[in-house]
Amino acid sequence: MSLRTFILGLCASFGAAWLAIIVIPFFKMRDLAPVALVPATDAAAGAAGVFFPKRSGRVADGARVYAENGCYLCHTQMVRPTYAGNDLYRPDWGGLKADADRGDTRRETNAYDFIGENFAQLGVTRTGPDLSNVGRRVEALDAAGEDPAAWLYGHLFNPRDNPQLWQSTCPPHPFLFERREIKGSPSADALKVDAGANHEWVPDSDAKALVSYLLSLKKDQPLPAALNFAPKKSEGAP
Amino acid sequence: MSSAIPTLSDQDVQLRAGIDRSLRHPVMFFLTSGAAWLAFALVLGVLASAKVHNPDLLGSCGLLSYGRVFPAHLNALVYGWGMQAAFAVILWLMARLSGKECTSAGTILTAGHVWNLGVALGVVGILTGNGTGMPWMEFPAYAWPVLLASYFTIVIGAFIQFRVRPEGRVDIAQWYLLAALIWFPWVFITANTLLHCLSGNPVMAAAINAWYKSALVFLFFTPVALGAAYALVAKVTGRPVASDALAKLGFWSLAIIAPWAGMQRLAGAPVPYFLPYVGAAATVLLFIPVCAAATNLLRTVWACRATCLASPALRFVTAGILALVLLAGAAVVLNLPDSTLPLTQFALSGYGVDMLAVYGFFSLVMFGGAYYIVPRVTGREWLSRRLIVAHFLFSVYGMLTIFGVAVIGGLEQGLSQEDWQQPWQHAAASAQPYAVANTFAWCLILFANVFFLLHLTLMWLRLGRHSVLPLLLASARGSGAQDAAAATEPSLTNISP
Repeated sequence: MSLRTFILGLCASFGAAWLAIIVIPFFKMRDLAPVALVPATDAAAGAAGVFFPKRSGRVADGARVYAENGCYLCHTQMVRPTYAGNDLYRPDWGGLKADADRGDTRRETNAYDFIGENFAQLGVTRTGPDLSNVGRRVEALDAAGEDPAAWLYGHLFNPRDNPQLWQSTCPPHPFLFERREIKGSPSADALKVDAGANHEWVPDSDAKALVSYLLSLKKDQPLPAALNFAPKKSEGAP
Repeated sequence: MSSAIPTLSDQDVQLRAGIDRSLRHPVMFFLTSGAAWLAFALVLGVLASAKVHNPDLLGSCGLLSYGRVFPAHLNALVYGWGMQAAFAVILWLMARLSGKECTSAGTILTAGHVWNLGVALGVVGILTGNGTGMPWMEFPAYAWPVLLASYFTIVIGAFIQFRVRPEGRVDIAQWYLLAALIWFPWVFITANTLLHCLSGNPVMAAAINAWYKSALVFLFFTPVALGAAYALVAKVTGRPVASDALAKLGFWSLAIIAPWAGMQRLAGAPVPYFLPYVGAAATVLLFIPVCAAATNLLRTVWACRATCLASPALRFVTAGILALVLLAGAAVVLNLPDSTLPLTQFALSGYGVDMLAVYGFFSLVMFGGAYYIVPRVTGREWLSRRLIVAHFLFSVYGMLTIFGVAVIGGLEQGLSQEDWQQPWQHAAASAQPYAVANTFAWCLILFANVFFLLHLTLMWLRLGRHSVLPLLLASARGSGAQDAAAATEPSLTNISP
């Protein structure tokens, strides 16, 4: 076999896969079109117009901090459909099992959930819980009645400071916080940890971006029927 | 494409000695700097692994937090050690198999320094908190063009040597090495351009990243190690490979199947449905090329069992091939959609199988290559049988532990992750004992490589033994071993005037 035939063979065998699973899907998925809502079926999602979710908060900035500090190594952001795993059955992963206003809001991850990010941090291992709805979960459950940002700051500083999470193996991130002297009145963001006399621990810019990003993770909004693959929930739910 | 060793004539001896001399500095540079990165990666690996079950260890320092140490460990292992070991072995084998001296040692050395600079920049970038967050591609975006440019400069000579080789000498090993040389830049450029230069759908970006990781293992590390294994087995045993047909089947089935693998990591993600299924199917089917190559190689080795025990190179290569068989077996068992894939998708298995590929298979074959090549290019023999045996045994024990953790621990962790009626802490706790076992395994591997580093440094300092006889691990007894001693190509630089 000549070198020419050999290289042609390599190009054919590799190129077929390269085109079929990399290049074509990449360009096909490049611009996700908004989903048009159909009034007959999409009363819950707003009935008219298009579905193209917006996220508030420092999403791009916070996603960068999330990536730089390796959160994706232990936390996933993927609620798999039931054929691929049991994630949807967990009471607070795909949404909330019993949301005060909307009942069961759980749903699987869709392609619109990562708008505003360059790279979907689907995750590597699940050493910690899934974070697809960590914003929702912290607001409604972990920090119910308190400031969810303060709860997350405390968690990032040292997860084991929270008596309920004493078994957590999440690494502490004190380097995202700054210990400084209190001048005038204490900062509103100051951590509830002992920082020594007349000192306080306050989050730095990266910690604020990260917490803002984590609070933006609320991937349980109502979906148009065209995107909703969940089995029909009990009648009467909105 | 036969691997028959021509009888040694004076001319051959001269030629080989010339090739070895021309490549002394590039080969030793890549092996020693690669081994230094390996040591660095292993120290970080032990630290990262210990942090999984002991999260407050060195926790207050951002530079050493788990989320940065772990990617630094992986990337240093892959780009610092893996790629450079591959360069050393590719350069030497391509020159020897093409029968051409290396005429650009200076350029290669310069490019090698640039490569190391790129890796160092990348690792510092990760540790100081500038990683990209894409698994196996965590180096900040400025590192990859540096790596790519030095890659081309390093390997272009090997290509030219193949083009101008004397007619009629194409070995199966050359097929594998050439293919790896072509696949790597294709895969590397594709993934880096699509993820760093073009904006696309973020979920598709994650899919491309998963493919990149698999392609780097199965389209670069695997063919390099298989090529090296074919060449070393033929050189040490002095026999042609058992079956030409099987060699062809193994090569072309790898070329056809491996590019489709990898996206099973995305099962259930919002990408076109066929992608994860194709990925899972291809990963399972990789058993075919692996079986073909492994059967072929092991049959050749089996014909000279005594040589295998006596030759350090062959012992490492054989263990690496067996690790490849384990790897392919694990790929079948752990990637079945609807049964084991949901369990292992986010369990310890992923990392364990990656390490079985990079360390258990690829690195062991590269160590075999180093034990064969270094005496030839330095003109000195290895000093100590015990250092080699310790390196071998601790590597194998460490790898078997990681393999056990990946399969048993991964499945158990997956089962408890899927048990949604239990609180999450139940699943987190089930992985803890296996995390401790992983740390233990990394300690063994680190310990093993202390011996290798020590030995390699002594060789690099030209403190090796002056001897015309290669160091054998077992004393020659029986006809098989005599066969071995006769067939084992002596260190030719010593013979040449």
